[in-house]
Amino acid sequence: MIDRYLRELEAELGAVGIRGSRRRRILMETADHLRESGDAARFGEPKLIAARFADELATNGARRIAFASFLVLAPAGIAYAALFGLIRTWPDITSARVLPVAIGTALTIVLAPQVAFAAGVLTVARAWRLRSQMTAPAAEIVVLRRRAAVALASGAAAFAAIAVYAYEYSSGLPGWWTTTAFVVSGAALVPIGGAAVALARNARVRPQAAGAAGDVFDDVAPLIDAIPLRLRGRHWRFCLLVAAAVAAAAFVAGGPDEGPRNAVGEFVAVCAAFAALGRFLGLRS
Amino acid sequence: MRAETLKGHVDFLLLAIVADEPAHGYRIIEALKRRSAGAFDLPEGTVYPALHRLEQGGLLASSWVSGSGRRRRVYRLTARGRRALAGARREWRGFTKAVEAVVA
Repeated sequence: MIDRYLRELEAELGAVGIRGSRRRRILMETADHLRESGDAARFGEPKLIAARFADELATNGARRIAFASFLVLAPAGIAYAALFGLIRTWPDITSARVLPVAIGTALTIVLAPQVAFAAGVLTVARAWRLRSQMTAPAAEIVVLRRRAAVALASGAAAFAAIAVYAYEYSSGLPGWWTTTAFVVSGAALVPIGGAAVALARNARVRPQAAGAAGDVFDDVAPLIDAIPLRLRGRHWRFCLLVAAAVAAAAFVAGGPDEGPRNAVGEFVAVCAAFAALGRFLGLRS
Repeated sequence: MRAETLKGHVDFLLLAIVADEPAHGYRIIEALKRRSAGAFDLPEGTVYPALHRLEQGGLLASSWVSGSGRRRRVYRLTARGRRALAGARREWRGFTKAVEAVVA
């Protein structure tokens, strides 16, 4: 009786992605419990117990990794800003070793941190909203994991691009800057990689709880409701508002020479990112 | 008592039981039943996911302990769990006091 129950539970745990040492431990604890109680029926259906493990471990784990990802990316972002703040004169774009590589790298350096920042903020917003929930709907967890994955991948791309940029333009950059860029990139990529591994491990567990995925209006409800523009449910209106705010910031930061061009570029980039990633990241339904 | 009624209080109850002394899953479930005079009679298997989650969150720690020819996973409260329990106790006392004042 006990052996049959344990075989069923083992199969059900595997079906929800709980394997390896976690599954062995659950089975050993269950076996010990059943030998003591002698009543498998009171323990609960194997499918129900496996689903409960998946829901609780996935929710708690994804939330913790979401906060950890932000904690990893936030100082990395400060280091990124400091690094580029140290450059007084930029090298001539054509002085790269391989020009197409350098141009792709420069674009990544500009765009990837912005994607990482936006995805990171969205990740924390959802993790914060789910902070007191023991279990969340599977669809919500999937969106949370996707946001963390995009934030970490973009952060990694940005720092990998910095290293490539330093190499490509080493002839036109101060030696101390290229060395610092390599060190900072390496130092940032290690914790980002660690968080990505933890996220990948958590993503193996498949939560079962039913429910809607939610969108950005659920995640930042107090903020959305405070803006008197009837944004709730109007995803593209929300996108245009954010794009306009980012463009205004780019306009001010760029000054009279580069401001207008940067503002248009940022506006288009935000709208394009919203169109490309909006559904994937749970920004629009 | 229905399991749904207990939802939201399970963590508090489990931490309170483990606070008295480190215990394995079966003993925790038995203590929950005994101390509630049978009112908290949960499906036994559902307590383990909560214990794993609390450990994942750093509120409990656990280790295998051998004795009487068997190995058991024994849970104990961490310093963080003790702080969380103290906070939950304060909140619960304030809540019950307020409810009592309204319904009495």
